[in-house]
Amino acid sequence: MKSPLATLALTTALALPGLAMARPVTLTTTLNDYGGDGAYLALYVTDASGAYVGSLWMAGAKSRYYEHLSDWYRATGGDPVQINGITGASVGAGRTLEITLDLADALFDAGCTLHIDAAVEDMRDSPNEVAVPLTTEGAGRPMRGRRYVASLRYDM
Amino acid sequence: MRKTLTLLVASTALTAAIVPPAWSALRASADGGVGALAVDREDGVDTLPLVLASDDDDRRGLRSSRDGGDDDDDDCDDDDGVCRASAGSPATGTPAPPRDRIFGNGAPPKVQVN
Repeated sequence: MKSPLATLALTTALALPGLAMARPVTLTTTLNDYGGDGAYLALYVTDASGAYVGSLWMAGAKSRYYEHLSDWYRATGGDPVQINGITGASVGAGRTLEITLDLADALFDAGCTLHIDAAVEDMRDSPNEVAVPLTTEGAGRPMRGRRYVASLRYDM
Repeated sequence: MRKTLTLLVASTALTAAIVPPAWSALRASADGGVGALAVDREDGVDTLPLVLASDDDDRRGLRSSRDGGDDDDDDCDDDDGVCRASAGSPATGTPAPPRDRIFGNGAPPKVQVN
C-alpha cells in the first residue's frame, strides 16, 4: 500500500510544474475624457523583434472599423479569427476597461510588448496609442497613452 | 524494478493529462466565468465607403453609417462590456479564446467596464 501511494505522490509532484505555465493577468485601461464617442481599442502583443504574436482583446464589434486600428490591422489583415471570443463593446470616454486573461508566462520578461491601437469616430486614429513592455517588474505600473488612453496597467 | 518504473511513467502521464483540464474547469466553475462572448461579425456584408476628410496624417477616425438608422454604436450595449450573441446568430455559446502561445488554459476572459 505504501509503495503505490509514494508513487502517486511522486508523479503528482512531477506533473504540478505544468500548472504554472500561465497565470491570470488583469489589464486595466482608463480613457481620457476626450469628448467623443466610444473608442475602439485593439490590445495585442509583439515579440522582441516587433513581430505580431497575438491579440488579447478587441473593444468594438464592428469589423468595418478595424482598419482604423491600423498597426493591428496591418499585422493581422483584419483576420477575425485573431479576435474570436475576445471581443467586447467599445469603451466610452472617461471609462475604464478591465480585462482578466490567462496569459502564458512565456510572454513576460522575454522582450514582448503590449500595444493598444485606438480609434474614435470623427477623431484622429491613434495607432500604437500606448506600448508597454511585459515584465514582472513592470506589473502594477501605469503607463500613459498618446491621445485617448489616460493609463494602461497590468497586474499579475 | 521494471514494473515500478512502468507504473511510474504511466501515472505521470495520466496525471499530466487529467490535472490541467480539471484545474481549469474547477477555476471556471468557481469563478462563475463570463457568459457568452460572440463576435458580431459582418462577413459577407459590403463595407461602406468611408468619407475621409483629408490624407492619412489627418485622417478622421471612425465614421458612423447613415443608412437605416444604423450608427456606429456597437451591438453590445451590456454594462459589463461583453458582446452577447445577437438574435440572428447561432446560439452556440462562447467560443474559447484562440489557443495559441499567448493564452493559458483557455478560460474565458473576464471583462468589466466601469
